Amino acid sequence: MNSNNVKNIPKMAVHIGGGLTIKNPVMAASGTFGYGEEYAPYYDINRVGAVIVKGVSLEPRAGNPPPRIMETPCGMLNAIGLENPGVKIFIKEKLPFLRQYTTAVIVNVFGETLDEYKRVVEIVSQTEGVHGLEINISCPNVKKGGIVFGTDPDMAYEITKEVKSATDLPVLVKLTPNVTDICVIAESVQAAGADAISLINTLTGMSVDIEQRIPHLANITGGLSGPAIKPIALRMVWQVAKKVTVPVIGVGGITSARDAMEFLMVGARAVQVGTAHFINPHAAVDIVDGMEKYFMEHNIRDVNEFIGTLHEGR
Amino acid sequence: MLGKIIRNTKIIDGHFLLAVKLPQSFQTPMPGQFVMVREKGRLDPLLGRPFSVYTFARMENAVIVEILYKVVGKETSILSMLKRGVLLEIYGSYGSAFNITTNTKKVVLICGGIGIAPLTFLASHYWGLATGDIDVICYLGATGAAKLVGVARMEELCQGVFISTDDGSMGYHGTVTDLFARDVTSYDSSNASIYACGPRPMLKKLSEMLSMCALPCQVSLEERMACGVGACLGCSIETYDREGKSTYRRVCKDGPVFDIHDIIWK
Repeated sequence: MNSNNVKNIPKMAVHIGGGLTIKNPVMAASGTFGYGEEYAPYYDINRVGAVIVKGVSLEPRAGNPPPRIMETPCGMLNAIGLENPGVKIFIKEKLPFLRQYTTAVIVNVFGETLDEYKRVVEIVSQTEGVHGLEINISCPNVKKGGIVFGTDPDMAYEITKEVKSATDLPVLVKLTPNVTDICVIAESVQAAGADAISLINTLTGMSVDIEQRIPHLANITGGLSGPAIKPIALRMVWQVAKKVTVPVIGVGGITSARDAMEFLMVGARAVQVGTAHFINPHAAVDIVDGMEKYFMEHNIRDVNEFIGTLHEGR
Repeated sequence: MLGKIIRNTKIIDGHFLLAVKLPQSFQTPMPGQFVMVREKGRLDPLLGRPFSVYTFARMENAVIVEILYKVVGKETSILSMLKRGVLLEIYGSYGSAFNITTNTKKVVLICGGIGIAPLTFLASHYWGLATGDIDVICYLGATGAAKLVGVARMEELCQGVFISTDDGSMGYHGTVTDLFARDVTSYDSSNASIYACGPRPMLKKLSEMLSMCALPCQVSLEERMACGVGACLGCSIETYDREGKSTYRRVCKDGPVFDIHDIIWK
Protein backbone atom coordinates (compact mmCIF):
# COMPACT_ATOMS: atom_id res chain seq x y z
CA MET A 1 0.00 0.00 0.00
CA ASN A 2 1.54 3.37 -0.95
CA SER A 3 1.49 6.48 1.19
CA ASN A 4 -1.26 8.02 -0.91
CA ASN A 5 -3.67 5.25 -0.05
CA VAL A 6 -2.80 5.35 3.62
CA LYS A 7 -3.55 9.04 3.66
CA ASN A 8 -6.96 8.46 2.06
CA ILE A 9 -8.18 5.70 4.34
CA PRO A 10 -10.89 7.38 6.40
CA LYS A 11 -10.87 7.35 10.16
CA MET A 12 -13.79 5.16 11.17
CA ALA A 13 -13.63 5.11 14.98
CA VAL A 14 -16.60 6.55 16.85
CA HIS A 15 -17.33 7.23 20.51
CA ILE A 16 -20.62 5.62 21.47
CA GLY A 17 -20.94 6.92 25.00
CA GLY A 18 -19.67 6.15 28.49
CA GLY A 19 -16.07 6.38 27.30
CA LEU A 20 -16.46 3.49 24.85
CA THR A 21 -14.89 4.08 21.44
CA ILE A 22 -15.37 1.41 18.79
CA LYS A 23 -13.15 0.93 15.73
CA ASN A 24 -15.92 1.60 13.25
CA PRO A 25 -19.62 2.48 13.45
CA VAL A 26 -20.99 -0.91 12.38
CA MET A 27 -22.17 -3.39 14.99
CA ALA A 28 -23.87 -6.76 14.81
CA ALA A 29 -27.35 -6.41 16.32
CA SER A 30 -28.49 -8.53 19.23
CA GLY A 31 -30.47 -11.65 18.42
CA THR A 32 -29.25 -11.89 14.85
CA PHE A 33 -25.65 -12.83 15.50
CA GLY A 34 -25.89 -15.47 18.21
CA TYR A 35 -22.77 -15.31 20.37
CA GLY A 36 -20.46 -14.79 17.40
CA GLU A 37 -19.54 -18.41 16.76
CA GLU A 38 -22.21 -18.99 14.12
CA TYR A 39 -20.87 -16.22 11.86
CA ALA A 40 -17.15 -16.57 12.60
CA PRO A 41 -16.69 -18.90 9.58
CA TYR A 42 -18.03 -16.20 7.24
CA TYR A 43 -16.05 -13.13 8.26
CA ASP A 44 -13.38 -11.84 10.54
CA ILE A 45 -15.26 -10.52 13.55
CA ASN A 46 -12.39 -8.05 14.09
CA ARG A 47 -13.70 -6.13 11.07
CA VAL A 48 -16.84 -4.86 12.83
CA GLY A 49 -17.04 -2.18 15.50
CA ALA A 50 -18.90 -4.22 18.08
CA VAL A 51 -20.80 -7.42 18.56
CA ILE A 52 -23.99 -7.22 20.59
CA VAL A 53 -24.67 -10.73 21.77
CA LYS A 54 -28.06 -12.38 21.90
CA GLY A 55 -30.09 -11.24 24.91
CA VAL A 56 -29.12 -12.82 28.22
CA SER A 57 -31.42 -13.38 31.19
CA LEU A 58 -30.81 -14.54 34.75
CA GLU A 59 -32.12 -18.05 34.18
CA PRO A 60 -32.10 -20.14 30.98
CA ARG A 61 -35.13 -19.65 28.72
CA ALA A 62 -36.42 -22.30 26.32
CA GLY A 63 -38.11 -19.77 24.05
CA ASN A 64 -41.46 -19.92 22.27
CA PRO A 65 -42.97 -22.98 20.58
CA PRO A 66 -42.59 -23.15 16.79
CA PRO A 67 -43.42 -21.80 14.25
CA ARG A 68 -41.27 -18.89 15.37
CA ILE A 69 -40.74 -16.96 12.16
CA MET A 70 -42.74 -15.86 9.14
CA GLU A 71 -41.54 -13.94 6.14
CA THR A 72 -43.49 -10.84 5.13
CA PRO A 73 -42.87 -8.44 2.24
CA CYS A 74 -39.29 -7.09 2.54
CA GLY A 75 -39.11 -8.33 6.11
CA MET A 76 -39.84 -11.04 8.61
CA LEU A 77 -41.75 -11.58 11.82
CA ASN A 78 -40.09 -13.38 14.69
CA ALA A 79 -41.29 -14.66 18.01
CA ILE A 80 -38.26 -16.57 19.23
CA GLY A 81 -39.17 -15.81 22.81
CA LEU A 82 -35.69 -14.71 23.90
CA GLU A 83 -34.34 -18.26 24.06
CA ASN A 84 -30.96 -18.19 25.79
CA PRO A 85 -28.87 -20.36 28.10
CA GLY A 86 -28.93 -17.88 31.00
CA VAL A 87 -26.17 -15.58 32.22
CA LYS A 88 -24.06 -18.21 33.98
CA ILE A 89 -23.75 -20.52 30.99
CA PHE A 90 -23.32 -17.50 28.71
CA ILE A 91 -20.27 -16.39 30.70
CA LYS A 92 -18.84 -19.88 31.02
CA GLU A 93 -19.48 -21.26 27.53
CA LYS A 94 -20.21 -18.44 25.10
CA LEU A 95 -18.22 -15.38 26.13
CA PRO A 96 -14.69 -16.95 26.03
CA PHE A 97 -15.00 -17.36 22.26
CA LEU A 98 -15.51 -13.62 21.75
CA ARG A 99 -12.54 -12.68 23.95
CA GLN A 100 -10.13 -13.68 21.19
CA TYR A 101 -11.23 -10.65 19.14
CA THR A 102 -10.30 -6.99 19.49
CA THR A 103 -13.88 -6.01 18.67
CA ALA A 104 -15.97 -4.57 21.49
CA VAL A 105 -18.36 -7.03 23.10
CA ILE A 106 -21.64 -5.56 24.26
CA VAL A 107 -23.92 -7.81 26.26
CA ASN A 108 -27.64 -7.41 25.68
CA VAL A 109 -29.57 -7.91 28.92
CA PHE A 110 -33.26 -8.44 29.61
CA GLY A 111 -35.49 -9.53 32.45
CA GLU A 112 -39.03 -9.69 33.71
CA THR A 113 -38.51 -7.66 36.87
CA LEU A 114 -36.29 -4.75 37.88
CA ASP A 115 -34.41 -7.03 40.21
CA GLU A 116 -33.74 -9.57 37.47
CA TYR A 117 -32.23 -6.93 35.18
CA LYS A 118 -30.10 -5.66 38.04
CA ARG A 119 -28.78 -9.09 38.97
CA VAL A 120 -27.82 -9.97 35.38
CA VAL A 121 -26.08 -6.60 35.03
CA GLU A 122 -24.15 -7.15 38.28
CA ILE A 123 -22.97 -10.60 37.19
CA VAL A 124 -21.96 -9.47 33.70
CA SER A 125 -20.18 -6.39 35.08
CA GLN A 126 -17.86 -8.57 37.16
CA THR A 127 -16.80 -10.47 34.06
CA GLU A 128 -13.72 -9.83 31.95
CA GLY A 129 -14.04 -9.18 28.25
CA VAL A 130 -17.28 -7.19 28.30
CA HIS A 131 -17.07 -3.60 27.03
CA GLY A 132 -20.63 -2.45 27.40
CA LEU A 133 -24.22 -3.37 28.12
CA GLU A 134 -27.31 -2.95 26.02
CA ILE A 135 -30.54 -3.03 27.98
CA ASN A 136 -33.52 -4.46 26.15
CA ILE A 137 -36.49 -2.67 27.70
CA SER A 138 -39.03 -4.14 25.24
CA CYS A 139 -40.02 -6.82 27.78
CA PRO A 140 -43.14 -7.00 29.91
CA ASN A 141 -42.75 -6.11 33.57
CA VAL A 142 -44.44 -9.09 35.25
CA LYS A 143 -44.78 -7.13 38.50
CA LYS A 144 -46.67 -4.33 36.77
CA GLY A 145 -49.34 -6.37 35.00
CA GLY A 146 -47.17 -7.08 31.98
CA ILE A 147 -46.75 -3.49 30.82
CA VAL A 148 -43.66 -3.31 28.63
CA PHE A 149 -40.90 -1.40 30.49
CA GLY A 150 -40.03 0.64 27.43
CA THR A 151 -43.56 1.90 26.77
CA ASP A 152 -43.83 3.81 30.03
CA PRO A 153 -41.50 6.80 30.61
CA ASP A 154 -41.42 6.25 34.38
CA MET A 155 -40.65 2.54 34.13
CA ALA A 156 -38.03 3.23 31.46
CA TYR A 157 -36.45 5.82 33.78
CA GLU A 158 -36.52 3.50 36.76
CA ILE A 159 -34.94 0.57 34.99
CA THR A 160 -32.16 2.69 33.49
CA LYS A 161 -31.43 4.17 36.91
CA GLU A 162 -31.29 0.72 38.52
CA VAL A 163 -28.99 -0.65 35.86
CA LYS A 164 -26.69 2.35 35.98
CA SER A 165 -26.35 2.01 39.73
CA ALA A 166 -25.35 -1.63 39.33
CA THR A 167 -22.51 -1.21 36.82
CA ASP A 168 -19.54 0.87 35.76
CA LEU A 169 -19.83 -0.32 32.15
CA PRO A 170 -21.25 1.97 29.46
CA VAL A 171 -25.00 1.40 29.21
CA LEU A 172 -26.91 1.53 25.93
CA VAL A 173 -30.67 1.46 26.33
CA LYS A 174 -32.52 -0.11 23.39
CA LEU A 175 -35.92 1.40 22.77
CA THR A 176 -39.09 -0.19 21.48
CA PRO A 177 -40.83 1.64 18.61
CA ASN A 178 -44.24 0.43 19.81
CA VAL A 179 -44.99 3.72 21.58
CA THR A 180 -46.85 6.92 20.80
CA ASP A 181 -43.85 9.24 21.14
CA ILE A 182 -40.43 7.64 21.24
CA CYS A 183 -38.77 10.98 22.11
CA VAL A 184 -40.46 11.00 25.51
CA ILE A 185 -38.94 7.60 26.33
CA ALA A 186 -35.54 8.65 24.93
CA GLU A 187 -35.45 11.77 27.11
CA SER A 188 -36.51 9.72 30.09
CA VAL A 189 -33.68 7.18 29.78
CA GLN A 190 -31.20 9.97 29.12
CA ALA A 191 -32.31 11.71 32.32
CA ALA A 192 -31.80 8.42 34.18
CA GLY A 193 -28.19 8.26 33.03
CA ALA A 194 -28.16 6.14 29.84
CA ASP A 195 -24.79 6.50 28.10
CA ALA A 196 -26.31 5.88 24.69
CA ILE A 197 -29.66 5.04 23.13
CA SER A 198 -30.13 2.38 20.48
CA LEU A 199 -33.30 2.24 18.41
CA ILE A 200 -35.41 0.63 17.13
CA ASN A 201 -36.29 -2.81 18.36
CA THR A 202 -38.81 -4.70 16.20
CA LEU A 203 -42.32 -3.44 15.47
CA THR A 204 -45.05 -5.77 16.69
CA GLY A 205 -46.83 -7.40 13.77
CA MET A 206 -48.95 -10.35 12.71
CA SER A 207 -49.60 -12.65 9.76
CA VAL A 208 -52.47 -15.06 9.14
CA ASP A 209 -52.89 -18.30 7.20
CA ILE A 210 -56.37 -17.82 5.73
CA GLU A 211 -56.73 -21.45 4.60
CA GLN A 212 -56.15 -22.90 8.03
CA ARG A 213 -57.58 -19.81 9.79
CA ILE A 214 -54.62 -19.64 12.16
CA PRO A 215 -51.86 -17.12 12.81
CA HIS A 216 -48.60 -18.03 11.10
CA LEU A 217 -46.74 -17.73 14.41
CA ALA A 218 -47.49 -19.96 17.40
CA ASN A 219 -47.09 -16.83 19.54
CA ILE A 220 -49.73 -15.12 17.32
CA THR A 221 -47.76 -11.84 17.15
CA GLY A 222 -44.10 -11.27 16.45
CA GLY A 223 -41.51 -8.58 15.88
CA LEU A 224 -41.17 -7.19 12.37
CA SER A 225 -37.63 -6.58 11.12
CA GLY A 226 -35.82 -6.16 7.83
CA PRO A 227 -35.86 -3.53 5.06
CA ALA A 228 -39.64 -3.06 5.53
CA ILE A 229 -39.05 -1.16 8.79
CA LYS A 230 -36.11 0.98 7.68
CA PRO A 231 -38.06 4.17 6.91
CA ILE A 232 -39.73 4.03 10.33
CA ALA A 233 -36.44 3.39 12.11
CA LEU A 234 -34.77 6.21 10.22
CA ARG A 235 -37.54 8.65 11.10
CA MET A 236 -37.38 7.71 14.77
CA VAL A 237 -33.57 7.98 14.90
CA TRP A 238 -33.79 11.41 13.28
CA GLN A 239 -36.39 12.53 15.85
CA VAL A 240 -34.48 11.19 18.84
CA ALA A 241 -31.07 12.44 17.70
CA LYS A 242 -32.46 15.97 17.73
CA LYS A 243 -33.84 15.60 21.24
CA VAL A 244 -30.99 14.00 23.17
CA THR A 245 -27.32 14.76 23.67
CA VAL A 246 -26.10 11.18 24.28
CA PRO A 247 -25.02 9.12 21.24
CA VAL A 248 -27.83 7.50 19.28
CA ILE A 249 -27.33 4.14 17.59
CA GLY A 250 -29.50 3.41 14.56
CA VAL A 251 -31.06 -0.02 14.10
CA GLY A 252 -33.75 -1.24 11.73
CA GLY A 253 -33.61 -2.78 8.28
CA ILE A 254 -30.05 -1.71 7.44
CA THR A 255 -28.96 -3.90 4.52
CA SER A 256 -26.39 -1.83 2.62
CA ALA A 257 -23.70 0.79 3.20
CA ARG A 258 -26.05 3.42 1.78
CA ASP A 259 -28.73 2.42 4.32
CA ALA A 260 -26.18 2.74 7.12
CA MET A 261 -25.05 6.15 5.87
CA GLU A 262 -28.63 7.43 5.87
CA PHE A 263 -28.77 6.69 9.59
CA LEU A 264 -25.42 8.39 10.24
CA MET A 265 -26.53 11.41 8.26
CA VAL A 266 -29.68 11.90 10.36
CA GLY A 267 -27.57 11.81 13.50
CA ALA A 268 -26.80 8.21 14.48
CA ARG A 269 -23.30 7.81 15.90
CA ALA A 270 -23.25 4.17 14.86
CA VAL A 271 -25.54 1.54 13.41
CA GLN A 272 -26.46 -2.08 14.05
CA VAL A 273 -26.90 -4.65 11.31
CA GLY A 274 -29.38 -7.39 12.11
CA THR A 275 -31.73 -9.20 9.74
CA ALA A 276 -29.37 -8.44 6.83
CA HIS A 277 -27.05 -11.12 8.25
CA PHE A 278 -29.70 -13.71 7.45
CA ILE A 279 -29.64 -12.95 3.74
CA ASN A 280 -25.92 -12.27 3.56
CA PRO A 281 -23.75 -13.75 6.33
CA HIS A 282 -21.07 -11.09 5.79
CA ALA A 283 -23.47 -8.15 5.59
CA ALA A 284 -21.83 -6.14 8.40
CA VAL A 285 -18.36 -6.33 6.84
CA ASP A 286 -19.76 -5.49 3.39
CA ILE A 287 -21.30 -2.39 4.98
CA VAL A 288 -17.98 -1.34 6.58
CA ASP A 289 -16.22 -1.82 3.24
CA GLY A 290 -18.92 0.03 1.31
CA MET A 291 -18.83 2.95 3.70
CA GLU A 292 -15.02 3.23 3.57
CA LYS A 293 -15.13 3.16 -0.21
CA TYR A 294 -17.77 5.89 -0.32
CA PHE A 295 -15.81 8.09 2.09
CA MET A 296 -12.61 7.65 0.07
CA GLU A 297 -14.39 8.49 -3.17
CA HIS A 298 -15.93 11.57 -1.60
CA ASN A 299 -12.80 12.65 0.22
CA ILE A 300 -14.35 12.28 3.67
CA ARG A 301 -11.41 11.71 6.02
CA ASP A 302 -13.29 10.92 9.20
CA VAL A 303 -16.70 9.32 9.66
CA ASN A 304 -17.42 11.87 12.37
CA GLU A 305 -17.40 14.58 9.66
CA PHE A 306 -20.31 12.76 8.04
CA ILE A 307 -22.50 12.12 11.09
CA GLY A 308 -25.48 14.46 11.48
CA THR A 309 -24.85 16.39 8.27
CA LEU A 310 -28.39 16.22 6.91
CA HIS A 311 -29.60 19.43 5.25
CA GLU A 312 -33.23 19.72 6.20
CA GLY A 313 -33.97 22.83 4.19
CA ARG A 314 -34.57 22.68 0.45
CA MET B 1 -21.42 -16.31 -2.74
CA LEU B 2 -22.63 -15.58 -6.28
CA GLY B 3 -23.61 -18.36 -8.62
CA LYS B 4 -24.88 -18.29 -12.16
CA ILE B 5 -27.85 -20.29 -13.38
CA ILE B 6 -26.76 -22.59 -16.17
CA ARG B 7 -30.02 -24.55 -16.37
CA ASN B 8 -33.47 -24.25 -14.78
CA THR B 9 -35.70 -26.82 -16.44
CA LYS B 10 -39.20 -28.04 -15.75
CA ILE B 11 -39.09 -31.79 -15.13
CA ILE B 12 -42.75 -32.45 -14.48
CA ASP B 13 -45.64 -30.21 -13.53
CA GLY B 14 -44.49 -27.88 -10.72
CA HIS B 15 -41.05 -29.48 -10.36
CA PHE B 16 -37.80 -28.01 -11.67
CA LEU B 17 -34.15 -28.94 -11.87
CA LEU B 18 -31.83 -26.00 -11.27
CA ALA B 19 -28.11 -26.13 -12.07
CA VAL B 20 -25.88 -23.38 -10.71
CA LYS B 21 -22.23 -22.72 -11.44
CA LEU B 22 -20.28 -21.49 -8.44
CA PRO B 23 -16.65 -20.56 -7.68
CA GLN B 24 -14.28 -23.33 -6.76
CA SER B 25 -14.12 -22.08 -3.19
CA PHE B 26 -17.67 -23.35 -2.64
CA GLN B 27 -17.55 -25.93 0.10
CA THR B 28 -18.25 -29.50 -1.02
CA PRO B 29 -21.64 -30.58 0.36
CA MET B 30 -22.28 -33.98 1.92
CA PRO B 31 -25.63 -35.74 1.38
CA GLY B 32 -28.32 -34.20 3.58
CA GLN B 33 -26.66 -30.77 3.72
CA PHE B 34 -28.42 -27.79 2.21
CA VAL B 35 -27.78 -24.43 0.60
CA MET B 36 -29.59 -21.11 1.07
CA VAL B 37 -30.65 -19.65 -2.27
CA ARG B 38 -32.07 -16.27 -3.24
CA GLU B 39 -32.07 -14.10 -6.30
CA LYS B 40 -29.29 -11.52 -6.09
CA GLY B 41 -30.47 -8.20 -4.72
CA ARG B 42 -34.13 -9.16 -4.31
CA LEU B 43 -35.76 -7.78 -1.15
CA ASP B 44 -39.20 -9.36 -1.60
CA PRO B 45 -39.19 -12.21 -0.85
CA LEU B 46 -36.36 -11.28 1.45
CA LEU B 47 -34.95 -14.48 2.88
CA GLY B 48 -33.09 -17.22 1.11
CA ARG B 49 -34.74 -20.62 0.83
CA PRO B 50 -33.09 -23.80 2.04
CA PHE B 51 -32.72 -26.52 -0.60
CA SER B 52 -30.97 -29.83 -0.15
CA VAL B 53 -28.30 -30.63 -2.68
CA TYR B 54 -29.38 -33.03 -5.46
CA THR B 55 -26.06 -33.44 -7.25
CA PHE B 56 -22.65 -31.85 -6.92
CA ALA B 57 -19.74 -31.81 -9.35
CA ARG B 58 -16.34 -30.25 -8.91
CA MET B 59 -14.64 -29.13 -12.13
CA GLU B 60 -11.24 -27.59 -12.71
CA ASN B 61 -12.34 -23.98 -12.29
CA ALA B 62 -15.82 -24.16 -10.86
CA VAL B 63 -18.40 -26.32 -9.13
CA ILE B 64 -21.90 -27.19 -10.28
CA VAL B 65 -24.68 -27.63 -7.74
CA GLU B 66 -27.97 -29.12 -8.85
CA ILE B 67 -31.16 -28.53 -6.91
CA LEU B 68 -34.38 -30.45 -7.54
CA TYR B 69 -37.26 -28.34 -6.27
CA LYS B 70 -41.01 -28.12 -6.15
CA VAL B 71 -42.88 -24.85 -6.55
CA VAL B 72 -44.74 -24.31 -3.28
CA GLY B 73 -44.88 -20.55 -2.75
CA LYS B 74 -43.90 -17.13 -3.93
CA GLU B 75 -40.12 -17.57 -3.84
CA THR B 76 -40.01 -20.96 -5.59
CA SER B 77 -42.49 -19.59 -8.13
CA ILE B 78 -40.16 -16.67 -8.89
CA LEU B 79 -37.18 -19.01 -8.92
CA SER B 80 -38.88 -21.25 -11.49
CA MET B 81 -39.11 -18.33 -13.91
CA LEU B 82 -35.42 -17.38 -13.77
CA LYS B 83 -33.43 -18.02 -16.91
CA ARG B 84 -29.90 -19.11 -17.67
CA GLY B 85 -27.35 -16.43 -16.76
CA VAL B 86 -29.30 -14.97 -13.81
CA LEU B 87 -27.20 -14.51 -10.66
CA LEU B 88 -28.18 -16.20 -7.42
CA GLU B 89 -26.78 -15.67 -3.95
CA ILE B 90 -25.98 -19.08 -2.57
CA TYR B 91 -24.59 -19.85 0.86
CA GLY B 92 -23.59 -23.22 2.19
CA SER B 93 -23.04 -25.99 2.53
CA TYR B 94 -25.04 -25.78 5.74
CA GLY B 95 -26.30 -28.22 8.34
CA SER B 96 -25.66 -31.81 9.31
CA ALA B 97 -25.21 -34.63 6.81
CA PHE B 98 -26.53 -38.18 6.73
CA ASN B 99 -24.28 -40.59 8.53
CA ILE B 100 -22.94 -42.90 5.83
CA THR B 101 -21.89 -46.35 7.01
CA THR B 102 -20.11 -49.21 5.31
CA ASN B 103 -21.10 -51.39 8.23
CA THR B 104 -24.43 -52.34 6.68
CA LYS B 105 -25.80 -54.70 4.08
CA LYS B 106 -28.96 -52.85 3.11
CA VAL B 107 -29.52 -49.14 2.71
CA VAL B 108 -33.21 -48.32 2.60
CA LEU B 109 -34.33 -44.95 1.25
CA ILE B 110 -37.91 -43.85 1.91
CA CYS B 111 -38.88 -40.83 -0.16
CA GLY B 112 -42.11 -38.86 -0.12
CA GLY B 113 -42.51 -36.54 -3.11
CA ILE B 114 -39.72 -33.97 -3.39
CA GLY B 115 -38.07 -35.68 -0.40
CA ILE B 116 -36.33 -37.73 -3.07
CA ALA B 117 -33.80 -34.90 -3.61
CA PRO B 118 -31.39 -35.38 -0.66
CA LEU B 119 -31.84 -39.17 -0.77
CA THR B 120 -30.75 -39.27 -4.42
CA PHE B 121 -27.53 -37.47 -3.44
CA LEU B 122 -27.12 -40.01 -0.64
CA ALA B 123 -27.72 -42.90 -3.06
CA SER B 124 -25.00 -41.54 -5.35
CA HIS B 125 -22.55 -41.52 -2.41
CA TYR B 126 -23.35 -45.15 -1.63
CA TRP B 127 -22.95 -45.89 -5.33
CA GLY B 128 -19.53 -44.19 -5.19
CA LEU B 129 -18.45 -46.40 -2.30
CA ALA B 130 -18.65 -49.29 -4.78
CA THR B 131 -18.13 -51.92 -2.12
CA GLY B 132 -20.51 -54.14 -4.03
CA ASP B 133 -21.92 -55.73 -0.91
CA ILE B 134 -24.33 -52.96 0.04
CA ASP B 135 -27.78 -53.06 -1.59
CA VAL B 136 -29.54 -49.72 -1.89
CA ILE B 137 -33.31 -50.13 -1.93
CA CYS B 138 -35.64 -47.20 -2.56
CA TYR B 139 -39.31 -46.78 -1.65
CA LEU B 140 -40.76 -43.88 -3.52
CA GLY B 141 -44.17 -42.32 -2.93
CA ALA B 142 -46.15 -39.59 -4.65
CA THR B 143 -49.77 -38.49 -4.83
CA GLY B 144 -50.06 -39.80 -8.39
CA ALA B 145 -48.02 -41.06 -11.35
CA ALA B 146 -47.83 -37.56 -12.83
CA LYS B 147 -46.19 -36.28 -9.63
CA LEU B 148 -43.37 -38.82 -9.52
CA VAL B 149 -40.09 -37.01 -9.95
CA GLY B 150 -36.50 -38.22 -10.23
CA VAL B 151 -37.35 -41.91 -10.70
CA ALA B 152 -34.95 -42.61 -13.56
CA ARG B 153 -31.89 -41.33 -11.71
CA MET B 154 -32.87 -43.27 -8.60
CA GLU B 155 -33.21 -46.43 -10.67
CA GLU B 156 -29.65 -45.98 -11.94
CA LEU B 157 -28.34 -45.75 -8.38
CA CYS B 158 -30.40 -48.42 -6.61
CA GLN B 159 -30.71 -52.19 -6.72
CA GLY B 160 -34.46 -51.88 -6.33
CA VAL B 161 -37.01 -49.05 -6.60
CA PHE B 162 -40.55 -49.64 -5.34
CA ILE B 163 -43.20 -47.09 -6.17
CA SER B 164 -46.43 -46.16 -4.44
CA THR B 165 -49.08 -43.60 -5.40
CA ASP B 166 -51.90 -42.32 -3.23
CA ASP B 167 -54.36 -42.64 -6.14
CA GLY B 168 -53.06 -45.98 -7.40
CA SER B 169 -52.13 -44.58 -10.81
CA MET B 170 -48.75 -46.30 -10.60
CA GLY B 171 -47.26 -49.04 -8.44
CA TYR B 172 -48.67 -49.82 -5.02
CA HIS B 173 -51.99 -48.10 -4.26
CA GLY B 174 -51.40 -46.33 -0.96
CA THR B 175 -48.78 -44.41 0.93
CA VAL B 176 -45.06 -45.08 0.82
CA THR B 177 -45.08 -45.92 4.52
CA ASP B 178 -47.74 -48.59 3.91
CA LEU B 179 -45.66 -49.98 1.07
CA PHE B 180 -42.58 -50.11 3.28
CA ALA B 181 -44.61 -51.62 6.13
CA ARG B 182 -45.18 -54.75 4.03
CA ASP B 183 -41.41 -55.33 3.86
CA VAL B 184 -40.29 -53.96 7.21
CA THR B 185 -39.93 -57.37 8.83
CA SER B 186 -37.43 -58.40 6.15
CA TYR B 187 -34.95 -55.83 7.46
CA ASP B 188 -33.20 -55.99 10.81
CA SER B 189 -31.05 -53.64 12.77
CA SER B 190 -27.89 -55.67 12.37
CA ASN B 191 -27.77 -55.19 8.60
CA ALA B 192 -30.07 -52.39 7.48
CA SER B 193 -29.98 -48.59 7.70
CA ILE B 194 -33.04 -46.51 6.92
CA TYR B 195 -33.01 -42.95 5.59
CA ALA B 196 -36.19 -40.95 5.01
CA CYS B 197 -37.29 -37.57 3.72
CA GLY B 198 -40.80 -36.39 2.93
CA PRO B 199 -43.83 -34.59 4.32
CA ARG B 200 -44.14 -34.38 8.11
CA PRO B 201 -47.18 -36.75 8.38
CA MET B 202 -45.28 -39.42 6.44
CA LEU B 203 -42.25 -39.16 8.72
CA LYS B 204 -44.47 -39.22 11.80
CA LYS B 205 -46.13 -42.42 10.61
CA LEU B 206 -42.75 -43.95 9.85
CA SER B 207 -41.55 -43.02 13.32
CA GLU B 208 -44.54 -44.81 14.88
CA MET B 209 -43.92 -47.88 12.73
CA LEU B 210 -40.23 -48.00 13.59
CA SER B 211 -40.84 -47.55 17.31
CA MET B 212 -41.92 -51.22 17.27
CA CYS B 213 -38.53 -52.39 16.00
CA ALA B 214 -34.92 -51.38 16.45
CA LEU B 215 -34.15 -50.31 12.88
CA PRO B 216 -31.89 -47.23 12.81
CA CYS B 217 -33.43 -44.37 10.84
CA GLN B 218 -32.17 -40.92 9.94
CA VAL B 219 -34.61 -38.33 8.66
CA SER B 220 -34.05 -35.04 6.89
CA LEU B 221 -36.44 -32.30 8.00
CA GLU B 222 -37.59 -29.02 6.55
CA GLU B 223 -38.58 -25.85 8.41
CA ARG B 224 -39.06 -22.18 7.68
CA MET B 225 -35.59 -20.68 8.15
CA ALA B 226 -34.07 -17.24 8.27
CA CYS B 227 -30.30 -17.47 8.78
CA GLY B 228 -29.51 -21.12 8.03
CA VAL B 229 -26.44 -21.02 10.29
CA GLY B 230 -27.90 -21.47 13.76
CA ALA B 231 -27.96 -17.84 14.87
CA CYS B 232 -31.60 -16.75 14.70
CA LEU B 233 -33.21 -19.79 16.37
CA GLY B 234 -36.17 -19.41 14.01
CA CYS B 235 -36.30 -23.03 12.83
CA SER B 236 -36.23 -24.73 16.23
CA ILE B 237 -38.30 -27.87 16.68
CA GLU B 238 -39.15 -29.96 19.72
CA THR B 239 -36.89 -32.94 20.27
CA TYR B 240 -35.91 -35.33 23.06
CA ASP B 241 -32.55 -34.80 24.73
CA ARG B 242 -30.39 -37.65 26.06
CA GLU B 243 -32.47 -37.92 29.20
CA GLY B 244 -35.70 -38.01 27.22
CA LYS B 245 -36.68 -34.46 28.15
CA SER B 246 -38.10 -32.05 25.60
CA THR B 247 -35.60 -29.58 24.18
CA TYR B 248 -35.55 -27.28 21.16
CA ARG B 249 -33.07 -28.03 18.41
CA ARG B 250 -32.30 -25.99 15.31
CA VAL B 251 -33.17 -27.71 12.05
CA CYS B 252 -30.53 -25.63 10.23
CA LYS B 253 -27.57 -26.30 12.51
CA ASP B 254 -28.37 -29.33 14.70
CA GLY B 255 -30.11 -30.84 11.66
CA PRO B 256 -31.56 -31.04 9.07
CA VAL B 257 -30.64 -34.72 9.55
CA PHE B 258 -31.87 -36.19 12.83
CA ASP B 259 -32.39 -39.61 14.37
CA ILE B 260 -36.10 -40.25 13.76
CA HIS B 261 -36.63 -41.17 17.42
CA ASP B 262 -35.21 -37.86 18.66
CA ILE B 263 -38.09 -35.90 17.13
CA ILE B 264 -41.26 -35.08 19.04
CA TRP B 265 -43.77 -35.40 16.23
CA LYS B 266 -46.79 -33.12 16.47
